[in-house]
Amino acid sequence: MTKIIDLRIKEKIYKSRKSQISILNDFNIEVNTGEKIAIVGESGVGKSSLLNILGLLDRNYDGEYTLFGSPTEHLLTSELAQWRNQRIGFVLQESALINSLTIEDNIKLPILYTGFEKGKSKQDEDFEMVTNAIEIKSILKKKPLECSGGEKARAVFARGIIMKPQIILADEPTASLDAENKERIVTLLFRMNKEFNTTIITVTHDLEIANRHDRVIHLERSK
Amino acid sequence: MKIFKFFISKIFLRKAILGIGMILLLFMANYITNTAARSILSTFQGYQETKYINQKGVYIANLDPNSHIDMDVINENGTQVVYDYLNNSFHYAFYTDGFIVSVPNTDDMKVSLGYMNEEYYELNQFELSQGTDLDFNYQLDEKIPVLIGKGLSKTYPIGSTIIIEESALGRPVTLKVQGVLKQNAYHSNYYALNSKTYYNFLILFPVNEGFINNANIDLQLNGLMDVIILETTQKEIADLREFIENNLGLKFNFFSQKENYEYFNEYYLHSLKIIAITAFVLIIIIACLSIWNALVSVRLMLKDFTINLLVGLSYSRLRKIFYSYFGILSFVNLIVIFAITACDRYGCWLRKDATFATYGLFCLIGMDWFALSVVALLDILIEIVIVESMLWRIKKVPISLGVLQ
Amino acid sequence: MRKSLFRIVDVLELCTAYIFCFFLNVLLDYAKTLDLDSYILKAFVKNFIDYQPLIVLLFTFIVIVFHYQMLHRKKAEIFCKILVGDTVFHIIIRYALDCIMILAFAYILSVLANVYLNFNLTSSLYLVPILITYILISARQVRKYENF
Repeated sequence: MTKIIDLRIKEKIYKSRKSQISILNDFNIEVNTGEKIAIVGESGVGKSSLLNILGLLDRNYDGEYTLFGSPTEHLLTSELAQWRNQRIGFVLQESALINSLTIEDNIKLPILYTGFEKGKSKQDEDFEMVTNAIEIKSILKKKPLECSGGEKARAVFARGIIMKPQIILADEPTASLDAENKERIVTLLFRMNKEFNTTIITVTHDLEIANRHDRVIHLERSK
Repeated sequence: MKIFKFFISKIFLRKAILGIGMILLLFMANYITNTAARSILSTFQGYQETKYINQKGVYIANLDPNSHIDMDVINENGTQVVYDYLNNSFHYAFYTDGFIVSVPNTDDMKVSLGYMNEEYYELNQFELSQGTDLDFNYQLDEKIPVLIGKGLSKTYPIGSTIIIEESALGRPVTLKVQGVLKQNAYHSNYYALNSKTYYNFLILFPVNEGFINNANIDLQLNGLMDVIILETTQKEIADLREFIENNLGLKFNFFSQKENYEYFNEYYLHSLKIIAITAFVLIIIIACLSIWNALVSVRLMLKDFTINLLVGLSYSRLRKIFYSYFGILSFVNLIVIFAITACDRYGCWLRKDATFATYGLFCLIGMDWFALSVVALLDILIEIVIVESMLWRIKKVPISLGVLQ
Repeated sequence: MRKSLFRIVDVLELCTAYIFCFFLNVLLDYAKTLDLDSYILKAFVKNFIDYQPLIVLLFTFIVIVFHYQMLHRKKAEIFCKILVGDTVFHIIIRYALDCIMILAFAYILSVLANVYLNFNLTSSLYLVPILITYILISARQVRKYENF
């Protein structure tokens, strides 16, 4: 198994006008290809911040991060964007959809930024495959506000995997879902891992879901 | 292009009010800039024209505003005496225009006659597109050589003759076309430098001593109003002023080069400064409103932008999209300003207003293109400020937060 | 004020937009009265005076933008208020009244400016129905956010 993530954080500071908070002090994480990792911990310990750093959304920290074997410190923002588009998939909460777009447009959004690298027919094929697998075809023409929570969660999931990323970063993907939809999303996540050897990193409060991952990382509040 | 089309159709047009607001603000900024640039350039052109005339030893006549023209006192004899005095004692440049004559032409425009003597002609150095310079040594019973504007050259090529009922002489005269003035040749009003008379439908009539002596009182008196005395002294001018007052009962002021420069600095420069400052302040206010409008757009579309950033859009690409979008808005405005200017110019042709009819692409002349270039430049500046403010605002919000807005 | 959709920043923003529209009108009225001896200045100012109502009307668009963006921002608040017992009707009425009060304040300021400059008191009056129309149209937008 090859190492896909090697992150060493000395400190991550959030500053406000009156105070500053330090999180993820001396936090190191190494992840191998195809691993399933859950990150748990109480609110405010930095779970989502860690995911943002892993997903190249936040570079404002003290530390080193090697992703896919390359240090990320000197990458241009356009290169970061390209990695987010093609190699990392984000599965966020159901509200992370653009309300003015249809579900189809929302799912196809990453395709917009790939150019014609894969070819249009291949992209259509991928879209067909993903929407079939996630059973989302019936709501493709609907807008997010017309969909149920479960449907929106599946749409967010579909958008996250449409590019067949090497890593999926899921931030509380099941937070507001009922048991049935929760199971559906988790099954889909693990199916991606099994079929495409995708690395899964999930931030969750749900210990039952966390325990189904290969490894569980407990984040604790910095002293 | 695909991404840009997506942003236009799926994001910007969904909140069209913000786009319309931006177009209107940019339109106002463009309108103000266009108006100010044309005013300033037109005045500058007028000033350049007066520089040929406003030389050392030159005095430009101007009827004193308090002097009353009493036509019962003024007669042909009186004006002739003044011209005799001028001919004997001075070099002077004579110019008067605005005498309408009936000359058929393809554009059906009213044609006016402009009279000038050799001194005035030499001072102004008119450029010709065809033919040769005016010849002032002619006899009134011969064919009189004239220059014509471009608009008349289609009907009256070089060498052709025009017979007109000459109102100053009160009889028909035959004119021979000697040359064609360059298109859009103009004459600025010395007391309103930003206003011009275009010569596209004008016949430039050479005036010599014989002509003035035979001309009627209207032409003689009109010519006297703007007469320019050359190579003279303050003393001689004082004598001339007195002579005119004694013979015509009119008080004339003759302004020297220094006085004219002082007048320019006091009057025109001050006006131009006020125009520039007013335009600048208004544009700054509009730029602030545009930035406010742009930041409001960011506030309302933040989620759309950040989700796109999340799935692979880079900030540099977003910047390009913004520049293209605002480029289109500016272009739309530029087209509107262009159309307004073109309609204004074309209106002169429709109204058969020969003194303002101009030639050029869509009737636009150099001054209009200059003003449009200034407008385009301003649009680019405003665009840079707006786009960079928007990106600054977007970058301030972490993508992860914007997505869940 | 607690029940109102307006916060102090919103009040200031709308008030500034109204004052801007009224004072633009006063400014152009003032330009008309200037006894300019400069032909160039006269010609420049004429370009604006001739189109005064149109120019002022174009600038009132910033008020439309304000209404649009404010209600868009407040959709969660509108929804939450309805959830806890408020009604769309009351929210609309309160919103319209707040806007009209701010409009009245801005108009009174413009009237005072007119009195000070010895201008016709009704010269800015034509803006009032226009701005009230914007308020009424935007108030209808509140209904859109009844269901978040």
